Amino acid sequence: MNSPWEPKIVAFLCHWCSYAGADLAGVSRIQYPPNIRVVRVPCSGSVDPLYILKALREGADGVLVSGCHPGDCHYLSGNYFARRKFLVLHKLLDLLGLRDRVHFSWVSASEGQRFADVVKAVTEVVRSLGPNPLREGESTCDTP
Amino acid sequence: MTLHDAARKLLEEHKVQGVLGYRKGSLPFRTRPYLFRDPCEIEELVFNPFCGLNLARYLLFLPQGIERVAIVAKGCDGRACVALVRENRLRRENLLILGVPCPGMVDTRKLAEWEGLKEHEVTLRGGEIVIRGVAYPLASFLDASCRRCRYRSPLVYDILVEGGEVPSLPQEDTLRELRSLPEEKRWEFFRKELSRCIRCYACRNACPMCYCKECFAESHKPSFLHPSPTLRDNFVFHIGRAMHLAGRCVECGACERACPLGIPIATLFLAVSDTVREHFAFEAGVDVAAPAPFVTYREDDPNAFIR
Repeated sequence: MNSPWEPKIVAFLCHWCSYAGADLAGVSRIQYPPNIRVVRVPCSGSVDPLYILKALREGADGVLVSGCHPGDCHYLSGNYFARRKFLVLHKLLDLLGLRDRVHFSWVSASEGQRFADVVKAVTEVVRSLGPNPLREGESTCDTP
Repeated sequence: MTLHDAARKLLEEHKVQGVLGYRKGSLPFRTRPYLFRDPCEIEELVFNPFCGLNLARYLLFLPQGIERVAIVAKGCDGRACVALVRENRLRRENLLILGVPCPGMVDTRKLAEWEGLKEHEVTLRGGEIVIRGVAYPLASFLDASCRRCRYRSPLVYDILVEGGEVPSLPQEDTLRELRSLPEEKRWEFFRKELSRCIRCYACRNACPMCYCKECFAESHKPSFLHPSPTLRDNFVFHIGRAMHLAGRCVECGACERACPLGIPIATLFLAVSDTVREHFAFEAGVDVAAPAPFVTYREDDPNAFIR
């Protein structure tokens, strides 16, 4: 079977906003690409940069991290702390030439359409980049 | 006061129980860290442009019974001391910083082309290094981290010893050079360098700021990477470590000197520190009291990179 390559994107969605936003997109029957694999997290602030790196290591072609808009965090300031970590990671991946593999967004629980738009945009960017370059020379049996 | 006089005096007057310094190594152009406890040992204390180890690393592994210790500190060792005090790894009152102005450390790999070179055949004179009677500009022999050094003398010290001329050198901007390359070229560079890594962890072990009891690289529950030195596992190790060193790296370059493959790994740490300095106005090892950049935030932190 030779189906064309489709990007796999791991999406870390915060439970209170973006996950609910994805839910709203679903119940509203808004169409968006089926390329994301959702991991629900309590807060974008709980997303350790290592989670993002591990997703890339495991072969994800792209990563999306999405949380509540600044000021709307369920835990008041989790996304502000997250933003600092993500800025540093973003700039570092930019230097490495991998900037467009990892995306960040703020999507609230009422923004179903926006969630679909973000997923569409991210999928298109990652699709244009092609498969994850870290997968070169990988063996199949060494998943930790 | 010279370094030797200061160190001897501290031991003789029992101001400290040990002086952490450098001693001649068993190979030419090598020095080893040594805890001097007896004043009559002090004559073996050396400080020369081959003292590339960051001694602050060893402050975390002092033998039992050593409470108050003096450390021979270049600019970067001094910054590491400040950073460790700030992170409550050390108590400032138990630490006596013996500051030495640093001439820059010689990259011993660059001396390899002179076969059988002896230590006495190399001397330093102002901004020049004289090898077998021929003078070369010192700058081209210095370690990459010294060529971009911004703090040659310690910022915080208890005693600043005299002597040791500090030649002024142009500061290199490694990041600007890299950033000027197109994206594919940058990835090509890092892909090549990260693929070479054999993951011996020498860089982590030499780092004064890498003191976790269990490193994420060796953690099994959860496990972030596989021990095999493949590109993707090396990627997680080095980028993950860079994230841990963001706003903590003191730019001493001990990691690069320790690397058996000569991978310019400090570039990553330079990049994260640069972001932290530019956007969060924080610099590691400069101020003992400044709050860490990741335990605080501002509502107007950069947001443009987020969709």
